[in-house]
Amino acid sequence: MAGLLRRDMLGVALTVAAIMLPVAGAQAADPIKVGVTITQSPPGSVVQGTQVKDGLEVAAKIINDAGGVDGRKIELVIEDTQGLPEKARAAVEKLATRDKVVAITGEHQSSAALAGIEVAHRYKIPYINTNGWSDVIREKGYPEVFNPGNYNSRVGAAAAATMKELGVKRVVSIAENTDYGIGLAKAIGEALKKIAPDVQYKYETLDRASKDFLPAILPMRANAPDAIINLMLPPAAYIMMNQLYEQGVAPSAKTWLYDGSGLADYPDFWQNVKEAGKGMLVFGLYHPKMAQPALGKQVGEAYTAKTKNEPNRLLFQAADSLFLIADAIKRAKSTDSGALIKALGETKYTGTRGEITFSKDKGYAFNQWLDVPYVTFQLTEVNQKVGDSALVSQAGQPLDPAKLWKPAK
Amino acid sequence: MSGIDVDLAVNGLITGVFYALMAIGLSLIFGILKIVNFAHGEFYMVGAYAYTLIALALGVPVWIALPLAFVVGALLGWLTERTLMRPLYAGYTSWGLMRDEYAVIVTFGLSLFLINFVDKVIGPYAYRGPPLVETSRVVLGPVLISGHRLLAAGIAIAVIAVTAALIKWSFWGQQIRAVSQNRLGASLAGIDTAKASVIVFMLSGGLAAFAGALLSPVINASPDVGIFPAIKSYIIVVLGGMGSVPGAIIASLFLGVIESFGAVYISFQYRDAFGLILLMLFLLFRPQGLFGEKGREV
Repeated sequence: MAGLLRRDMLGVALTVAAIMLPVAGAQAADPIKVGVTITQSPPGSVVQGTQVKDGLEVAAKIINDAGGVDGRKIELVIEDTQGLPEKARAAVEKLATRDKVVAITGEHQSSAALAGIEVAHRYKIPYINTNGWSDVIREKGYPEVFNPGNYNSRVGAAAAATMKELGVKRVVSIAENTDYGIGLAKAIGEALKKIAPDVQYKYETLDRASKDFLPAILPMRANAPDAIINLMLPPAAYIMMNQLYEQGVAPSAKTWLYDGSGLADYPDFWQNVKEAGKGMLVFGLYHPKMAQPALGKQVGEAYTAKTKNEPNRLLFQAADSLFLIADAIKRAKSTDSGALIKALGETKYTGTRGEITFSKDKGYAFNQWLDVPYVTFQLTEVNQKVGDSALVSQAGQPLDPAKLWKPAK
Repeated sequence: MSGIDVDLAVNGLITGVFYALMAIGLSLIFGILKIVNFAHGEFYMVGAYAYTLIALALGVPVWIALPLAFVVGALLGWLTERTLMRPLYAGYTSWGLMRDEYAVIVTFGLSLFLINFVDKVIGPYAYRGPPLVETSRVVLGPVLISGHRLLAAGIAIAVIAVTAALIKWSFWGQQIRAVSQNRLGASLAGIDTAKASVIVFMLSGGLAAFAGALLSPVINASPDVGIFPAIKSYIIVVLGGMGSVPGAIIASLFLGVIESFGAVYISFQYRDAFGLILLMLFLLFRPQGLFGEKGREV
C-alpha cells in the first residue's frame, strides 16, 4: 500500500514537473515589460513624445537583437499622457497595477513627471525620468526616481555663465508657465546672483497655450534688454520668436537671443522660425561634434536609418533611460523592484552620452547624473543643420563673444 | 497717449479684427441652428493646414491657396451639416422638438476626431504658413507691424464687410435671417430651412478656415491650434449677443483692445482671463449681450 502510494506520488510529481517545465521555460522567455509615459496627443509636446518613443524603440531593438536581458526580450508598454499631470498620474497607476511593468520611463515634461513620480513612489517602482528638467523632481528625494537627463540647475549655471561671458547688463527670460519654465527662470536668476551679481535679471512667464505674445513684447521694444533667454517650448516658442523678430527686438545688434529649451534640434524648427532663428545662441545637449561613446554612435545611426532624421538630444536621453533599466536588471539578476532600485543606485554605466552615475547628495543633485554633457552653439544661417552650426563652447570652456555672429544695426 | 499706447491700441484692434473673422461663423450657426458648434476651432485649424500645405507642399501661389482654404473649410462645413447635423433636426420644423443637446456631443466628438486625425495623418509638428508679403516690418509712426499682419488685417476687414453685406442684402442672406427669426414661420413661407442650414454651415466653416489660413504665418498651424480661436469665439458670441453678427464684430474689437492694454498695464498672465471676466459680468448684468434678444423661443 505504502509502495503504491509512493509510486502514485512519484507519478503525480512527474506529471506536475512535466506540466511545469514548459511553463517555467515560457516564464524564462516572457518579455520584461517596461512602462513608458509620453505625450502622443496635444496639448503636450507630441514632438518630444515622438522623439522619446523613437529613442526607446531604437534602444529596445538593440537590446533585443543582442539576445535581450538574460534571454528575455524587452517589451515597451506605452501610455499617452497628453503632457497633462492628471493623465500622467493615471498612466503610471495603470502601468504599475494592471500591466505590472518592472520600471517606468519616458516622461519628458516636468509637470507630468511630478505627477507620475508620486504614484511610482507609492508603489515603490523604479522611475527613470527621461527629460523632466524641474529641480523639484530631484528635491522630492524619492529613492525610486533616477535622473539621467538634464536638470534646471545645470541649464541655469550654463546660461548664467554664457551671459557673464557675453558681458551683458540686462537680461530677460521668457518662460512658459509650467514647473519647467518657472523653475528654470528662477535657476538662472540664482546662478546669475552667484557668478554675475551686477547683471539685472527678470523673467516674464507666458501662457504656453497663448498664441499672441505681442503685448508682452511691445514694452521690450521700447526698452530692449541686452539678452533674451527663451524658456518656452514649441509651438508657443516659435510664435514668440517670430514676434520678437518682427518687432526688431531679438536677435538684433542690441539684443542677443539665447535658447535654453533645446529648440534647434526639433525637426520643425526652421520651417517655423526662418530669419527669427538666425543668430540664436543655443544651450545644446547634443551636437554632432561632441565627443560620444560608441553606443551613442550606434544609436544615432540606427535612429537615422529608422526615421531618416538627424539624431537629437531626446533620442539619446530616451535610449539611455532604457539601457540603464536593462543594465540594472542584469546586475540585480532580478526584476524585483527593491533589487532594481538598489542596482540603479549603484549604476556605473557608459551609455550614449558618457559614463552615468547617480549622485546621492540632497536637493537637485539627488539621484541625478550631475555631469550631463552640453555645449553652446550658434545658428548662423537660416535652415542650418545643428551639425553645421558654430560650436561656440563645450561645458566648462569659456566663450569668446568676438567670434559670434551678430546682425548689423 | 504715449507711443506704446498707440502701439497697443493698433495691435489690439488688429487682433480684434482677426477675432471677428473667427467668431462670425460661430455666431451665424447659433443664430440659425441655435446650437453651439464645439468643432468651430477645428475648422480654423483645418484652414490653417490647408493653406500651408497647399502652398508649401504643392507649390501653389499663396493668393490661390488662400481662397482654396476657404473652399476646404466650406466643404468640411457641408459634410458636417449633411452627415452629423442633418439627422438631428431632419423632420422637425421647430427647435423645441429638436434634441439640441445631441449637437453638443456630436460637435465635441468631431472636434476631438479632427485634432487626432490631423495629429496622426499630418503629424504633431507645427507648420508656419507662407506670408502674403515678405516685408517683415512696416513702420507706421510709433507702430511697428509685420507686412503680413497689416495686409491680413485689411483682407479680414474686406471679408467681414462682404459677409455682412451678403447676409443683409442677398437673396440667401434674407432667407437665412428669416430662418434665424422663426424657423417654423420661414418654413411655412416656403423657405427651404435645410438649405439655409447648409449655407450657414458652409459659410461658417469657410470663414473659420479662412481665418486660420490668414493667420497661419503668425500663429503656426498645429493640431491643437483651434483651441484658442474657439474659446475666443465663444466669449465674443456671448458678449456680442448670440446670433448677432454686428454684435460679434464690436465685441471682437472690444476684446482685442482690452486684452492688449490689460496685458501690459495689469498682467500678461491674466490676458486670457480678461475675456472670461467680461463674460461673467455680461452673464450677470446683461445676459443677452450687446445686440442679442432677451428671450429664446421655447
